[in-house]
Amino acid sequence: MKKQTDIAIIGIGVTKFGELFHQSYDDLVRDAALQAVNDAQISMDDIGAAWLSTAFPEIGVFKGRSGMDLCEPLSMYNIPVTRVSNYCASGADAIRNAANALRAGECDVAMALGVEKLRDRQPQDSIVKMMVEYGHPFLQKGFTAAGTFAVYANRMMHEFGVTREDISAISVKNHYHGSFNKKAHHQKCCSLEEVMLSPMVSDPLTVMDSCPTTDGAACVIMVRAEDVDKLKHNPIFIKGIGLSVSTGWDLPFFDPNHDFLSFEATRTAAKMAYKQAGITKPIDELDLIEVHDCFSIVELLTYEDLGLCGKGEAKDLIRGNETRLGGKIPVNVSGGLLSCGHPVGATGIRMVVEVANHLRGNAGERQVKNAKRGLTHNIGGPGAIASVIILEK
Amino acid sequence: MKAVCFSDEDIITLAYQSVRDIPKDNIDGIIFATATPVFHNRYHASFLADYLNLPQGILALDFVNSSRSGTDALLLANDLIDSGKYQNILVVSADVDFPGIGRELSTPFGHAACSILLGNDKGLAEITFAKSFSSSFAEEFSYKDKYVQYDPRFSRDAGFKNNITSLLKTPVSDPKSYDAIVLNSLYARMAGGIFSKAGFDEKQFARDTLTSKIGNTGAPHALLLLLNELENGKKNILLADYTNGTNIFEIKSKSAGERKSLQEKLSNYDLVNSYQDYLLLRKAGNFSSVKYKTKEMFSSEMMQEREKDTLLYLKGLKCEHCGTMYYLKSARCKKCKTDKFSEVQLANTGTVYAVTSEHYFPASFPPITMVVIDLDGGGRMTVQQTDTMYPEKNKLEIGSKVKLVLRKMIENDAKPNYFWKAIQL
Repeated sequence: MKKQTDIAIIGIGVTKFGELFHQSYDDLVRDAALQAVNDAQISMDDIGAAWLSTAFPEIGVFKGRSGMDLCEPLSMYNIPVTRVSNYCASGADAIRNAANALRAGECDVAMALGVEKLRDRQPQDSIVKMMVEYGHPFLQKGFTAAGTFAVYANRMMHEFGVTREDISAISVKNHYHGSFNKKAHHQKCCSLEEVMLSPMVSDPLTVMDSCPTTDGAACVIMVRAEDVDKLKHNPIFIKGIGLSVSTGWDLPFFDPNHDFLSFEATRTAAKMAYKQAGITKPIDELDLIEVHDCFSIVELLTYEDLGLCGKGEAKDLIRGNETRLGGKIPVNVSGGLLSCGHPVGATGIRMVVEVANHLRGNAGERQVKNAKRGLTHNIGGPGAIASVIILEK
Repeated sequence: MKAVCFSDEDIITLAYQSVRDIPKDNIDGIIFATATPVFHNRYHASFLADYLNLPQGILALDFVNSSRSGTDALLLANDLIDSGKYQNILVVSADVDFPGIGRELSTPFGHAACSILLGNDKGLAEITFAKSFSSSFAEEFSYKDKYVQYDPRFSRDAGFKNNITSLLKTPVSDPKSYDAIVLNSLYARMAGGIFSKAGFDEKQFARDTLTSKIGNTGAPHALLLLLNELENGKKNILLADYTNGTNIFEIKSKSAGERKSLQEKLSNYDLVNSYQDYLLLRKAGNFSSVKYKTKEMFSSEMMQEREKDTLLYLKGLKCEHCGTMYYLKSARCKKCKTDKFSEVQLANTGTVYAVTSEHYFPASFPPITMVVIDLDGGGRMTVQQTDTMYPEKNKLEIGSKVKLVLRKMIENDAKPNYFWKAIQL
């Protein structure tokens, strides 16, 4: 593969995440987009192409089925705009598409914006409804999203001696981090007992092992690195983007080769991104990581898939507080999906904004000291699609 | 005691379970009998024939009016085979009846299914005589869904006694030659005198050890009583099944009663702890949950029709290069990337590889336990666990042995959806 042109992020924006009953889909788009455009000190008319990431228009407000729904709230017309849908990796995939268009010379300034409006419906009318009523009537019928990851937790406990405490400790850590994040859905610390004694969702995952259903939007403005205006911009460089689809919607649960201990998609995407960024020992070469902790178990097993430790060793990282703020490799200092919430299309871009803030030194109370290089990770579907993005100062 | 089926069972799943282990080669007819039909204008017999992968276009008939329909089916099947037009006919009977709330304790109902394969070949037993005697009088019946019952002293004379007396005038064999008389009727207690007058001995009546265990199971009941006596080793059986007329059979056993499939079933049950639990079971059968009211489920007849090799018959694919077996179709092997597959029959037993329980998915008895199963001989499936009214008794763990059974999934108003669920072995 050819050496790729470096891409710079020159503008970032993220809305408050939460139950935003007073903001519409369009309000969220405007909020995130204007923050990013102002941060980049450009005009909306400078944008040459845009990508809109919304994963579930059908279970949200029927907005985001095409790029059109980005143009309308911004009055941004007469440019190519595409909607990107790749489950939880949608946001990261919007960034990947924007980067590739810049590299191909289709445009000089690109926007990637992710937005999801889920709380206009009751939670049981959105995500649970999707699993209950849509899709194949028989295959995997009975699973909610939590259950499709809970089977991994049970295998991890069976194979590697992971305990329920290890899994819930992830939630405790991320809620601690989230207490510093004014834009997070939940901004309160919690104890291990609170996590473990909260209502069971899918054994062994409890309500507090699961991320909330949330509204929110995030946006980045990107240019080719060579086009950065050093007087105006505070750029963050994309050094690697990996995205991999490694299984399907049903296959993981019907594939005798699958061990439920690891996500092949994460391993593949990480390999791509590490190669582009020249990273060989991630735990030493990265300063912070945003991991897709939709359920606490996912963060734990992703430690192994990202190569931060060997197989079966993830529990040692959490037991040793290595991934806590101030530890060897802080993970989810934003509070993760568990605190911030998970507006699906926005999450990947929210993570990139978070890492960019740390690399710029603007992360306030939760700032990771001397952060020079960070990684974001998403996993979508039943562990089928993963994205890894590496960002540098 | 009464047999009560689980909330995701109905006459179709009970019937399927009863017929599942019968060899199904060269079957050219299936007759289904029930007093509690679930379909109208759709034949239960042809529905079942499809689930059993029997050939299209075979004889498939329903008897769906009375609790005598089990032996009605037997009678017709016997005559059709005697006529020489048919070789092997499956008689399948199932009933799931729920009396009105509060009447369950006094009503002798029970849920069951029974299947008998009739053919010309040598089998367990031979029907040497079969006849039906109509009666114009019915002691109790329903009209426009209203229950009708006459004065019992009048009706037993006008109905049961009259009918039995006249049928016993027909000489069958020497009355003393039977070692078991099986009389399936709510009025069986009154029959002793009538049989004595016709030259039988009261001692010849088979002791009914079944009804006290499972209740009166409606249409399949006479067949089950017959099976019970065959398993008890009785050689020469007179079977009479009375409901508004009588079907009478003379059956000669050809085996020593070594197959005890009924006895096995009877020894394998879970007790419902209380009447409250029973009511819960019954209420939960409507498949809506308190937490989440399901209005619809995306499922189409077309989808089930085109995927039935996989969904119903458990036909899988085997990679010809590395031997990996797949339940789902694929263009290439996930493991070795080659594209040559052969079709294989997957097993219906296996071992739990991974498990979780879902507390938020609507279920009759939440949580639903989801199990990833490595099927014996290869292939992997993920299904719900069932028979989980008392989850602590049936807890599945990694390594547990399970069996797949056909059960109802969430039911929308339009039609039932049947698929595999796992039970603990």
